[in-house]
Amino acid sequence: MLYFFTSLYFGIIGAILALLMRVQLSVPNNFFLSAYYYDQAVTMHGLIMIFWFLSPIAIGLANYFVPLQIGAKDLAFPRLNAMSYWLYLSGGIMAVLSFFVPGGSADAGWTNYQPLAVLTPGSGTTLVYLGLVLLAASITLGSINFVVSIIWLRAPGMSLDKLPMFTWFILFTIIAMLFAFPTLIAAFALASSDRILGTVFFTSTQIQPSILWDNLFWFFGHPEVYIVLLPGFGIIANIVPQFTGRPLAAKNAILVATALVVLPLSFGVWMHHMFLTGIPVDLQGAFSIATIAISIPFDVITLSFVESMIRGRVKLLTPMLFVLGAVVLFIIGGITGVFLSSPVLDRVFRGSYFVVAHFHYVMVGAAIFSIFAGIYYWIPRFTGRMYNERLGKIHFVISFIGFNVLYFPMNFLFDMPRRIFTYPNIGNWALLNGIASVGAFIFAGAQTLLAANLLYTWFRGPPSPPNPWGSPDLEWKSQPVLTPSPTAPTDTSESPPAGGWIGQLATPASPATETHAAGAEHGEAHYSSRPIQLSFGAMIFLMGAAFYPGILAIGLMVIGGALFAVALGGWARDDLRHKFAPPPEEEGDRWPFQGVSKMKLGMWVFLSSEIVLFGSFLAAYIFIRGAAVTFPAPGSIHDIPLGTLNTIILATSGLTMFLAIQAIRQGDRRRLMQWMSVTFMLGSTFMGIKISEWVNLGSSGFTLSAPYPFNLAASAYYIIVGLHGAHVTAGLIMMVYLMKKTKDGEYTKESHEAIENFGLYWAFIDIVWCFIFPLFYLL
Amino acid sequence: MRTSVAFGVWAYMVIAVLTEVEIYYMLRTANYDLMTAAVSVLATSQATAIVVFNMQLKDEPGAIRLFALIPIMFLSALLIAELASLG
Repeated sequence: MLYFFTSLYFGIIGAILALLMRVQLSVPNNFFLSAYYYDQAVTMHGLIMIFWFLSPIAIGLANYFVPLQIGAKDLAFPRLNAMSYWLYLSGGIMAVLSFFVPGGSADAGWTNYQPLAVLTPGSGTTLVYLGLVLLAASITLGSINFVVSIIWLRAPGMSLDKLPMFTWFILFTIIAMLFAFPTLIAAFALASSDRILGTVFFTSTQIQPSILWDNLFWFFGHPEVYIVLLPGFGIIANIVPQFTGRPLAAKNAILVATALVVLPLSFGVWMHHMFLTGIPVDLQGAFSIATIAISIPFDVITLSFVESMIRGRVKLLTPMLFVLGAVVLFIIGGITGVFLSSPVLDRVFRGSYFVVAHFHYVMVGAAIFSIFAGIYYWIPRFTGRMYNERLGKIHFVISFIGFNVLYFPMNFLFDMPRRIFTYPNIGNWALLNGIASVGAFIFAGAQTLLAANLLYTWFRGPPSPPNPWGSPDLEWKSQPVLTPSPTAPTDTSESPPAGGWIGQLATPASPATETHAAGAEHGEAHYSSRPIQLSFGAMIFLMGAAFYPGILAIGLMVIGGALFAVALGGWARDDLRHKFAPPPEEEGDRWPFQGVSKMKLGMWVFLSSEIVLFGSFLAAYIFIRGAAVTFPAPGSIHDIPLGTLNTIILATSGLTMFLAIQAIRQGDRRRLMQWMSVTFMLGSTFMGIKISEWVNLGSSGFTLSAPYPFNLAASAYYIIVGLHGAHVTAGLIMMVYLMKKTKDGEYTKESHEAIENFGLYWAFIDIVWCFIFPLFYLL
Repeated sequence: MRTSVAFGVWAYMVIAVLTEVEIYYMLRTANYDLMTAAVSVLATSQATAIVVFNMQLKDEPGAIRLFALIPIMFLSALLIAELASLG
């Protein structure tokens, strides 16, 4: 619920910025907003709507309904979930605060094309960038939590083929997030380091920095389109059967198309955003074909929805009206998207309002209308009360009209540049922009009806039947949390609807109902202020970093760092005192991950996102090496014998860590302590040598301010090796914690999972170094 | 995994890194491309050895292996395409 309402708050901010833009563009030669304010409004509208509204509102619904749909008490890691929320909020606070710092907020467009954006003066842009890094960290943590929950916490009998469609699509979304957002972290971390530390990733004129940014940003950015869209499709797929009276047509085809085509291909089409950057023609052709290909599974999905409606008897209630609206708007947006897959047409349309129409039809029309459908569909489950149907229908009609009045005229503005704050009175620009602006106010005004309906439902709505839509899904088998419905069942072991799959579950009623009944208690057992402290600590520290240099900046960094450290220590102390006993591991349906524990699965999922994170940084470095006209000769900077020694030390620490694990597998805590201590010493030695190398390199002039190409080499070396060093340091801190627990007699032959999982982390650190050493020292 | 295998992996790591350095000294001026290829293969083999043996990926269910492989496939696409985008 926190996610849901916080995202609505950010949505209102984004909408206000949009209305300001539409007022500015309503008439030609308008100076209601200057270019300075317009650029900020357009940039922050995009960033806030995409990152702090569209995805989080879907995640808010998922946070509430995925555990219910799979018959779980909560998500797998409740405190991690809290951490994820507070990081999301902290990032959003930083983004909004950026308006109030000297120089204003980010103003180079939501894509933050470099080197334009990195050269923008003021701290506002840096605040936004670091806010985005926090947001991406939040999403990565949330992704781990959702993947583990959906895979590991399913009730007995809830095999994957019985998973509700909304949960399926959240799983797809989360997997895309898991692999896309680390690249966003890498891109904005590099850009932030340029702005704060003076690295030259995007300011060097010698390496085509705009192409580097485009690759990193759009490698994340195109999957982001599906990240925004897929939860909405899940909602539609969940709703359609209830309002057509027949099962969803081609359900398996939808799942297969999404899993095997949409997800992999979403990471293989990003270069269609770069047709105008001068990339080779062959590459344009390949990405054009891939872009056309990705439309095919969406044809399957859309046709499935349409066929379900044609073959069923459609009940035109508010949720279904919004579903219809979403499908229609997606078809319009999808058709215009096919034009943009052609490099030739893209050349004409890319910089025009045609693109604005296209992506708003897809990302706003389809996504928002389906989320509205979900809100109306599930509000009886939220509140135990029914919404006002008449008001809901009026909301739909005005929203649909307003949306199309707003965006459809933009399809005809394919000759108007989209990145200008005002325009001359040419052709029909004034007329079409005027109509669009009227549409914006109609669309925004319509949302007051949604607010009114939500408030009405909450406080005055008539009691809802326990399962108003006759859904077979598990979320309707338990009582609403906010306002228990007078008619909500106390005995939730009701018979499943005829033909519903729930009847096929191994134990149809007990797992879901029992777990839900205990849900609130379970949640309360994990209340902790540590996630808030950690998130706010990180936020204050990063604010200081954004304002760096200066006394205020250093003060904020000290305060934030201290708060972070205290919270981390507190979290460890809570754990050492067993304040939060993990819930007993229950039997569940875990195919295809049988035999993998919850924590181990979480670690592997985390490491898979780490692969993308380090891979993105290293890919940036390899790009720089490929693009740089000259680069310091291999071996001319780094001490190869010392680097070799350090590599062997780290490899040896991998061996000793394994011996530590072997010791505890045999129940020998004393040897565990010994080998962990050796591993700690080796890790510390590795870091000590690294720091001495940095000091020597710095004193010999290998700094960020060195002349080209040494500044470029130094930028890459200090940031990437520094990131690895931060991981080693985090590992050393974890080792101290594990040794303390070992000393307290915590681990046994039967129970030592934390040690095993730490072994995975430490091995991963070793793997990353296998590539860093040759890349920086030898090649 | 048996302890002897762990020692074997460690020995391979040490030999591989020493070989990388030796190749660097032998080929850095004679054939830079060959050196790059050889060192890349050795680095990849070291990483593979750690993943397969130390992290025991070979003993994990196929779905876990997928979680390790999928990001590598995506990153390979990024790497190839970004280098190709340089023209």
